[in-house]
Amino acid sequence: MSDIAIAEVGAADGSENSRQADWVPIHFDLRDTWFPVAFSADIGTQAVRRIVHAQPYYLWRDRGRLRAAEFRPDQLEPLRRSATAFTGGTGHYPVTERYGYVWAWYGNSDNADLALNPCIPFLPVDGSKIPRYTQRTVRFDAASPLSVENLIDLTHADFLHANAIGDGRCESDIVEVQSTSETVTRTRIVTRKSVAPVMRWIGGVRAKYQDLRAVLHVHLRNNLAISYPSFSSGYAIPNVQPFVPVGRHRSRVDQTNYTVAAPAPFRWLMPRISYVIQPQDNAVLRPQNERYFDADGRRDLSSRFDAPGNRYRLLMRRLAERQRQGDFSYAADANPSADISVVLGMNG
Amino acid sequence: MGDGQWWAVSLTEAVGNNKPLSVVCEGEELVLFRNAAGRAFALEDRCPHRRVPLSPGVLTPGGLQCPYHGWTFDGASGVCREIPNLHADERVPSRHAARAFLVAEADGFIHVWRGSGAPTGVLPSAAYRPIGREYSGSAVVNIVHGTYLETMLDGPECLLAFPGVTITDFFLGDPRREGEHLVLDRGGVWKGKGIGPAFVRDHPLVLRTRVPLAGGAIFVELLTAAEVPLVTIFIASTANRRGTTSLNWRGFRHAHHAPGAPFAWRLRRTAGRAPFEVLPEVKGKSIAALRVAPSLELATSRMRQGAECRGEHNE
Ligand code: FES
Ligand SMILES: [Fe+2]
Repeated sequence: MSDIAIAEVGAADGSENSRQADWVPIHFDLRDTWFPVAFSADIGTQAVRRIVHAQPYYLWRDRGRLRAAEFRPDQLEPLRRSATAFTGGTGHYPVTERYGYVWAWYGNSDNADLALNPCIPFLPVDGSKIPRYTQRTVRFDAASPLSVENLIDLTHADFLHANAIGDGRCESDIVEVQSTSETVTRTRIVTRKSVAPVMRWIGGVRAKYQDLRAVLHVHLRNNLAISYPSFSSGYAIPNVQPFVPVGRHRSRVDQTNYTVAAPAPFRWLMPRISYVIQPQDNAVLRPQNERYFDADGRRDLSSRFDAPGNRYRLLMRRLAERQRQGDFSYAADANPSADISVVLGMNG
Repeated sequence: MGDGQWWAVSLTEAVGNNKPLSVVCEGEELVLFRNAAGRAFALEDRCPHRRVPLSPGVLTPGGLQCPYHGWTFDGASGVCREIPNLHADERVPSRHAARAFLVAEADGFIHVWRGSGAPTGVLPSAAYRPIGREYSGSAVVNIVHGTYLETMLDGPECLLAFPGVTITDFFLGDPRREGEHLVLDRGGVWKGKGIGPAFVRDHPLVLRTRVPLAGGAIFVELLTAAEVPLVTIFIASTANRRGTTSLNWRGFRHAHHAPGAPFAWRLRRTAGRAPFEVLPEVKGKSIAALRVAPSLELATSRMRQGAECRGEHNE
């Protein structure tokens, strides 16, 4: 990677972090949002347990009807009286199915609103015809915000993932950040980069160089990362990485690498790149997560390359602060279900 | 005495210039490495950028490069010398630094200075003067550091072994203060000789353990009844994480003849086998069963030593 320019620096410059209280990614518990807690295809008549923060979600289908409850189906009746405010005392969470995922509401169930369900423009809304090979479950050994930060952070790829991702040599590399009160969008434009080995050998890209335009759009409340990297020559490899917090130490990601437009066998093999990358990320995330529990007051140092990540930190803190003061509403600049195909740079 | 302490944290040969070594000293994670010229350095094993351990990083001519984003830290100062992809005219702010520790290498050990005061006193290994072939090793034992030191007084047979020798728990006197150590002698007998340890008229061997009042430098000597040294061991100990203890040791056999030594002892010597063993695992059952005896003196001696350091006088 070379020559990164950060557009629109503002509060997200390298020193942002030293002016504020320290970043504690382990203590975020943002509410009133839809979490993609499972692939639709994984839920049948047998109940499975998923966890959001520390809250259990039992998922199953009852005569075709999708259920999401605080208790196992056989214990629903005896335990219903101890149901929490997450289900409004009913034991049942608001739940819906879109884009091949089961989405369950986390927060005040009175505020559950389908209009707040995020839009993923490249996936079929009804989830039909999403091939199983595009869906893969990976686990991050860190709190969700720390894992999202790893995804936003481009500069680690040259070191931690050098073997899988390539040498990062290119003519120019520009990174821009935009945000709303509920989202961060990072756009990266790389021109004349050498083709990644994996694309050259199994991806059928014969050219020596390619251009890349990669947009990463992150919803803050539910740590949902929607990504649209488009290569020319080459193709787009759109993907969804929902970081579902499973407590303060781990996150679960049911990712969809929607490679259907890519040639075979790349289409099938590319989603498996997580098997290489994932252990590399976890090797750093594991000790990192532990150290964010340290109360020694030493703040992280940053460089200008951390601007996108520091913007994310700032926005997360603001959102958490608003929620601490009892404001769970979505501000006027936020509309999770808005069509983001233009934001992602689809259609060229 | 300043507010700090030298600690021997690793064997010299454990740190090369191709790969950093992670160690723990007083519960804190450190990374040790050498530059091409062979000079040893110690940094906190924590990158100030995003807190990941530096020890899986790469050694470069500029220092130690973090495995996550490639910031490179100077070994002596801890200052970040390089952030990848910065323009030639961009400077790294000088506060961008990892915590660095003062290092002294001597007697086959790498020592680090921990504390706020300026380094004082002699290195813990200074009293260790090997003659001839050495035997060394490292281990992490499942016992709290303070208990390890106490056990070295109450029951060193739970922590050490000398093949051919039975260490008894018959203390020869009470612990006495010698410099910064509490010293205790106990009787020992050759295995398979005579009527057994409880009935010997005089112990043919003496085991002398020196336990530090501060820091982790333990000395052990096996002596003849006439106090001629047969074996000397220096064990550098310090608290590791989660109630465990890190050990690094070196020891040697003296050239003196051991009168009355059984054939097996002489055979080991001829074969060049180690005359001692620092146990890499401790048995909970034996340690739990140990009676608290000479270690009672540790607390009072430490208190007295603390008062001396503060310049108080006890009449
Ligand atoms: S965490 Fe060490 S360089 Fe980023
Ligand atoms: Fe990564």
